[in-house]
Amino acid sequence: MGLFGMLNMKRKEEQALDALTQRSKDNESYWAIVKKQFKKNKIAVWSLRVVYLFIIIALLADFLANEKPIAAKYNGEVYFPVFKEYAVDLGISDWQKEFLNVSWKDLEYEWAVWPLTPYLPKNIDFMNTSVGPFDKQDVESTKWTHWLGTDALGHDVLAGMIHGTRIALLVGIVSMGIAAIIGIFFGAIAGYYGDEKMRMSIASLIVYIIGFVLAMFYAFGTRSYELSDAIGESFGSFMVELFISLILFFAIMMVFRYIGKLCKNIPFLNKQIVIPVDILISRLIEVVVSIPRLFLIISIAAVVAKPSIFIVMMIIGLTTWTGIARFTRAELLRVRNLEYIEAANALGYKEFRIIVKHALPNALSPVLISIAFGIASAILIESTLSFIGVGVPAETITWGSLLSASRQDAAAWWLAIFPGFAIFITVTIYNLIGEGLTDAMNPKLKK
Amino acid sequence: MLKYVLKRLLIFIPTLIAISLLTFVISINAPGDPVETMLNQSVGGDGMSGEKLANEKSYINKRHELGFDLPLFYFAFTNSTFPDTLHRIPKKLHRDNLQRLAYEYGVWENVSTYYNSLRAFENTVYEVQITDQTSKDLRKIKEAITVLYISHATEKTDATIENIEYDLFRNKRIADYTSTKYYDFINAYNQMKLEKNTINRYIPKFVWYGFDNQYHKWIAGFVKGDFGISYQDKRPVSSKVFDALKWSMILSILSIIIAYLVAIPLGVRSAVDKGKWSEKLITTGLFLLYSLPNFWIATILIRYLGDGNGIGWFPTFGLGNLPPEAPFMDRFLETAYHFVLPLFCLTYASFAFISRQMRGGMLNVLEMDYIRTARAKGLKKQVVIWKHAFRNSLIPIITLFASIFPLAISGSFIIEVIFSIPGMGQLSLKAIFARDYPVVFTVLMFTAILTLVGNLVADVLYAYVDPRISFSSKK
Repeated sequence: MGLFGMLNMKRKEEQALDALTQRSKDNESYWAIVKKQFKKNKIAVWSLRVVYLFIIIALLADFLANEKPIAAKYNGEVYFPVFKEYAVDLGISDWQKEFLNVSWKDLEYEWAVWPLTPYLPKNIDFMNTSVGPFDKQDVESTKWTHWLGTDALGHDVLAGMIHGTRIALLVGIVSMGIAAIIGIFFGAIAGYYGDEKMRMSIASLIVYIIGFVLAMFYAFGTRSYELSDAIGESFGSFMVELFISLILFFAIMMVFRYIGKLCKNIPFLNKQIVIPVDILISRLIEVVVSIPRLFLIISIAAVVAKPSIFIVMMIIGLTTWTGIARFTRAELLRVRNLEYIEAANALGYKEFRIIVKHALPNALSPVLISIAFGIASAILIESTLSFIGVGVPAETITWGSLLSASRQDAAAWWLAIFPGFAIFITVTIYNLIGEGLTDAMNPKLKK
Repeated sequence: MLKYVLKRLLIFIPTLIAISLLTFVISINAPGDPVETMLNQSVGGDGMSGEKLANEKSYINKRHELGFDLPLFYFAFTNSTFPDTLHRIPKKLHRDNLQRLAYEYGVWENVSTYYNSLRAFENTVYEVQITDQTSKDLRKIKEAITVLYISHATEKTDATIENIEYDLFRNKRIADYTSTKYYDFINAYNQMKLEKNTINRYIPKFVWYGFDNQYHKWIAGFVKGDFGISYQDKRPVSSKVFDALKWSMILSILSIIIAYLVAIPLGVRSAVDKGKWSEKLITTGLFLLYSLPNFWIATILIRYLGDGNGIGWFPTFGLGNLPPEAPFMDRFLETAYHFVLPLFCLTYASFAFISRQMRGGMLNVLEMDYIRTARAKGLKKQVVIWKHAFRNSLIPIITLFASIFPLAISGSFIIEVIFSIPGMGQLSLKAIFARDYPVVFTVLMFTAILTLVGNLVADVLYAYVDPRISFSSKK
């Protein structure tokens, strides 16, 4: 048979495995079916369109509500102040002298294209405090009208709503992104290995434990002051420090992995033991689930030295991964006994490759449902926090903080109606998308 | 079954330990000094020497009484710059700063000498007679010393020391009295800077403190039923929590009962009538209700039905203020009247959720063969629905019971805050803001225990309703 024969056989095996993978997971066709089913659900499709609309509003928030004109001719020259601001923020450009510390509203333009509402959420209009949309407003022309009224300090509600869209969407994406990473990781390990599949020599186990402790020590323990200083500074610098810590952590773990491989050769330490990962992770999930989530989030948010919306997102993500982990675990428990995984095992593929390339793609559809519902609940949690004024800094205007302003200013119905309605619509459409996905993926209901 | 329940109860223990550790970590990282909160004073400042000493003494006594002079945990795993005896330093701010200094300069002995010389210097400053000539400079020096206690950045410390030196030697009386101690302090500071050694922070160290520590003391007290004393009003936490728990429980239980009473018939109806327009209306309505944020509805109800700006049908604040000697019936009616709006806000979401689940369960069952058989043999529709289908579709509803139970407590959180009901929500929010950690601890642990028990009850009920489920013969 020779060397070529063996190589050929190996290729045949791989082709067979790929075919098997294709057949049992039906990758394209499965997603095509889900898509088709989802498209039949008109309400869900419309919800998705509303999400797109929200995304557009969030992306264009600076062009929809801004104190600066989008384009203007001033002293014989044409300017694009909103674009200019992006450039200044990025550090590419500087403001011309005549625009430093000016009130954009009072400049005399030859012509100007203004955003939908010429205010930023932080702008204060002293002449119009607590005016409703239908009240008589003390403004120069309709261009300056507060279409959705103002709060007791004179902040424009429409501007707050538009910029609040950004925060609401960010909360959903960032917190569920964090939750998905943690949840899929734990769920995949628990589901794939179960209680019997994870085998390790005593030597590697000991080395791993030592490595973990030392990696935690060097990556987070000795760097704790750097990390806490960075939180006080800004969210960006905290992310940089966190990233350095994480790299350090994995680097140390890699070093110990090689030490573990060397230790395998010591005879009395290479006895294999089984690690019940499923039990361990299920217990972890139970612990996290039984903590009253809202209460925990509020207590953590109240402790953080410098409140920031991003810290709130991280806390939400760190406490809501359990749903995703459960879904992933259940799916992988099912998938791991299918023929194609066995075949992959028999071929001697690395377990990492089997999990990531063969098992996970099959299990991700229910995770999507969990993420859709998760975004809805994350937005709800964030608005609850802003509503009671915990964890979200006072100067950040969110839908929840606008709604809470109505508690002090009971006559201002516009403060109660508009932001609350925005929260309601967002939560509803994400729930509807989740429902739509559930129906589309559940073959039982396919009729 | 008994064996299963016992096994589950055993699993509670690690879960509860994990939760207690989590709350403990949150509480020790909280800003603010609990001893100061309790004494309502700050030590030091611009006072006479005797007054300062008395303040410090009462601080140390209170600290000892509360057990804050114990180590935090059974052991510590840190770097080698970390002093084992740090917990003996009284003030939290000083302690945090000293730990930071130890980390920056690496040699604890030097940091300790620095701290002691600073204290000695401070004491002599407080002994200087306050007169017209000295009072202004003394106040400046004292203020600068309080800054030194909490500063770890070299530039800031250097600048503060420069200011002290200027004020000190400008005034001969102060200089004569305090200069020796001041030079001791400067020497200690310079030595600490000279012998800076950052290698130590990369050497791990393990310290064992034994069982006499703050966590052990607290968890042992919790197990014995002693939840500690509230920092805010010095009342025992247990009485505070039980007072609050009473209202939360009444609210939640009423809300659950109402929710189930409304939800079950509605869910069954909408499943049986599947396809009719009335069913579609109900289903859509329920879905919208389910997504409505209850704090929004609460705000709107207060605005339009409340007694402030609205039509004034319902009170929106508290539970009424009839004296306890008023007749029971009056007090009952007053409270019930105050309960209407909060109860509505609490209930609608859960009943929408339950009826949606009920509908789903019922739809599944109605498709089963035995239902068709029952209909085929001529049983009445009502009998088939309620006798055959209903019992089997109850299963998902029962598991829900478990998740609704703890939800009712944390779910009433925001409603209680909005309507100012003295329940667990308001208690815990106030406690969190006041950093009253004995209360926060207790509430978190209680809610966690309720959640665990709720889950267990649900599983047991599950087996009871569905005989196919058996825990004993589980493979």
